[in-house]
Amino acid sequence: MKKITIEHIARVEGNGGITATIDGNIVTDVKFTVNEGPRLVERLVLGKTPEEDVNLVPRICAICTLSHKYAAIRAMERALNINVGPKVRLLRELMHLGEMVESHALHVFYLALPDYVGFPNAIAMASKFPFEVKIALEMKQFGNHIMKTASGRYIHGENPVIGGFGRFPGRDELIWIKNRAVQFMPFVLKTVKLFAELPYPDVPESETLYACCNPPDNKYGIVGDEIILSTGETIDVQDYERLTNEFVVSHSFCKRSQYKDRPYSVGALARVNCLGKRLEGEAGKMYKKYFNARWTKNPLFNNAAQALELAYSFERIPEVIEETLPRPDEPIIPYGQTDGKGAGAVEAPRGTLFHAYEVTGGLVSHADIITPTAQNAEDIERYCYITAQKLLESGQEEKIKDRMDLVIRSFDPCISCSVHAVRIRKAPEEDWKMKIAKMKIDFSPLIVGFGSAGHSDDGAGLELARRLRGREFKDVWIEDESPEGTAEWEMDEHRPLLIVDAVDFGERPGKITMMPLQHAAWNAALSHRLLPLVTRRISFDQLKNSYILGIQPATLEDGEQLSEPVLLAIEQILDRLKN
Amino acid sequence: MPDNKLKIGIFELTGCAGDALLIVDCEEELINIFKAANIEAFLMAKSDNDDEIELDAALVEGSVSTEKDLRELIEIRKRSKVLVAIGICAGLGGIQANLSNDDVWAKNLKAVYGKMEFTHSKPLPSKPVGDFVKVDYCLPGCPIGKDQFLSTFARLLAGNPPELFRFPVCMECKWHENDCLLNKNVICMGPLTAAGCGAVCVNHNLPCVGCWGPSEEANRTAEYRLLLEKGYDPVVIKNKMANFSGTRIFEFFAGFKGDKK
Repeated sequence: MKKITIEHIARVEGNGGITATIDGNIVTDVKFTVNEGPRLVERLVLGKTPEEDVNLVPRICAICTLSHKYAAIRAMERALNINVGPKVRLLRELMHLGEMVESHALHVFYLALPDYVGFPNAIAMASKFPFEVKIALEMKQFGNHIMKTASGRYIHGENPVIGGFGRFPGRDELIWIKNRAVQFMPFVLKTVKLFAELPYPDVPESETLYACCNPPDNKYGIVGDEIILSTGETIDVQDYERLTNEFVVSHSFCKRSQYKDRPYSVGALARVNCLGKRLEGEAGKMYKKYFNARWTKNPLFNNAAQALELAYSFERIPEVIEETLPRPDEPIIPYGQTDGKGAGAVEAPRGTLFHAYEVTGGLVSHADIITPTAQNAEDIERYCYITAQKLLESGQEEKIKDRMDLVIRSFDPCISCSVHAVRIRKAPEEDWKMKIAKMKIDFSPLIVGFGSAGHSDDGAGLELARRLRGREFKDVWIEDESPEGTAEWEMDEHRPLLIVDAVDFGERPGKITMMPLQHAAWNAALSHRLLPLVTRRISFDQLKNSYILGIQPATLEDGEQLSEPVLLAIEQILDRLKN
Repeated sequence: MPDNKLKIGIFELTGCAGDALLIVDCEEELINIFKAANIEAFLMAKSDNDDEIELDAALVEGSVSTEKDLRELIEIRKRSKVLVAIGICAGLGGIQANLSNDDVWAKNLKAVYGKMEFTHSKPLPSKPVGDFVKVDYCLPGCPIGKDQFLSTFARLLAGNPPELFRFPVCMECKWHENDCLLNKNVICMGPLTAAGCGAVCVNHNLPCVGCWGPSEEANRTAEYRLLLEKGYDPVVIKNKMANFSGTRIFEFFAGFKGDKK
């Protein structure tokens, strides 16, 4: 077995890695690891004043600094019943658009584009694309300028506070920004064309669920009091936990999320999928021209969606400033309330960001922060798995590392947020033995013998299950797929499963391979027979920790006899399960 | 191609990546930074990073918060002539160092992650880089300031040590002719905080939050008593003093006599 590891994913913000383990012809494992140490920010803010919380939380991530500040302010204002005026709302939108421009310009041109044109970094790319690199730099600089004007600094500006702003930018500063935004438009439209027409490979493609904030008044936008899903369902932000359902995994400091037992994606592509029809003006025209079915299932299109959002942002900035200019400055709203509870959500450039607080006696008593990368982690792993497996099946193993790198980077992961890299690993000899040992310690799995009697080695799973029963093993089920076969299931069981089955991986007969059951859906050798089981019979919780133990058959022809190598494999497994 | 440019590496341990990002944010100067020195490692900006080359200077951001951070740091120190801690996470441990007292840390880690045993890298209480290896210089700030970074970078290239401000934010605040917020009974950390930001918060009519970390000669006891007189809660004052002071504040509170009259 071997492992492909990208230890440090370069050109992303923060420190993370991804490892794919390859055992012969199949990918047995993909792990997205966040190495960024745990900083326990949610605990750090306990006992602090709401103002200190709003000072501290943007330090979670430098690139989404204002999104964190904005989400925290929205949550605190909800908790403490503060309603700010229209000018404050507009200036907040402006700073947020500035962050969107800065982050998207940096990501599409500097972090993503070098991959597609074959350069290690943007500075090297400048030799061939001097104009693009220069204007992209100016675009990013412009986003930074907006952030600095509205928040006081490029990074971790403190001007936005609970109840308003310390100081409003002057008329001349705003007019300069408005005019500059208009000047960028021709280049912005070229950017959309460039990224919408990039030759995105079709591996990986897989449907997923998308989620984002639902902006008011049926408009495109980047804040909302409600979450909208690509299915059309909506969820009140105060009930955000219904969407996020956070849990912890052992191989990462980044928490995970699932909605109704399904991974989901957030970010620019999610927003364009959920809200794209609402885009107006040039962005709307571009959406109609370029959006197609591939955008709904290929994460690489996130770069195209980011470019489209650049068009949205550059059109929206002048409008926001037009609306701001005639309005008088609004003083910071004082508040007397010392207790309350509230959640706030904003669309950070890389996806939906939730902050939720409880304030007791004027101090923070509970804090919950759910970042976009934490919500995307499950889908990042899933898409990397699909990538590795599909490329392996089509004999393009050498492409796996670079493609996984591309996939992970397309999610624009902000890893410092979630609490860098791809590795390909050859699995060690008899990797399955270690996995069984670990599984027995962590859970007490139910063993399911799967197979079809009367088809020689296809009965391997059934034979193993019968022998286990003969040794007075209790937690064993049998699922015989042959016409006269029976299935014995106890549906109230929620323990993880260890499914033993004959699986044709194209290996030497008798070779044993153990892989997570949830990967079965994307493995051609397994999907046809296990998919019905996976989708109908067991819960996602069960699925996540369940494994399949595959034995390579020698023959599947009619007959009652199992072949020698398969019988030997059964003995080995029995030995292992016994100890 | 051999040349006599200095070899420089920029590294990120645990933090918000804000100091590395600030370097990327030096838009106009960024290309010159890459031209003036050989940037051998800078994960945020390039993917062809050299992990073994001997460096003339290493700029390190972030606190040591995992065993992996620590291994990397020790290895970086071994191959670098000069090590500069950039930002208060590397310099002081950052905001996360507030919980770095062992018992407090263990309790809080459990509260966030439950009983999970991590398989990829063991977490550690967040500590400044200087607790483990020799640090030649520290640039304060959360994040570092662009002007201070560029001047430090230029001085390093010329083989000179950085020139840092040895006075508090109040000096810069007076240069901007702001009214003193303490006189208006607002809880402001300016007198305790290292200068370099240009008093940006007070310029925006807001109190200093202390994000550049402690000024060398700050009189914390005097500020504490002043704020007590103004009616602030002792816990709130201490928190405010601790937020951006990293592990440095523990030494101070250990010998604190401010509550005694």
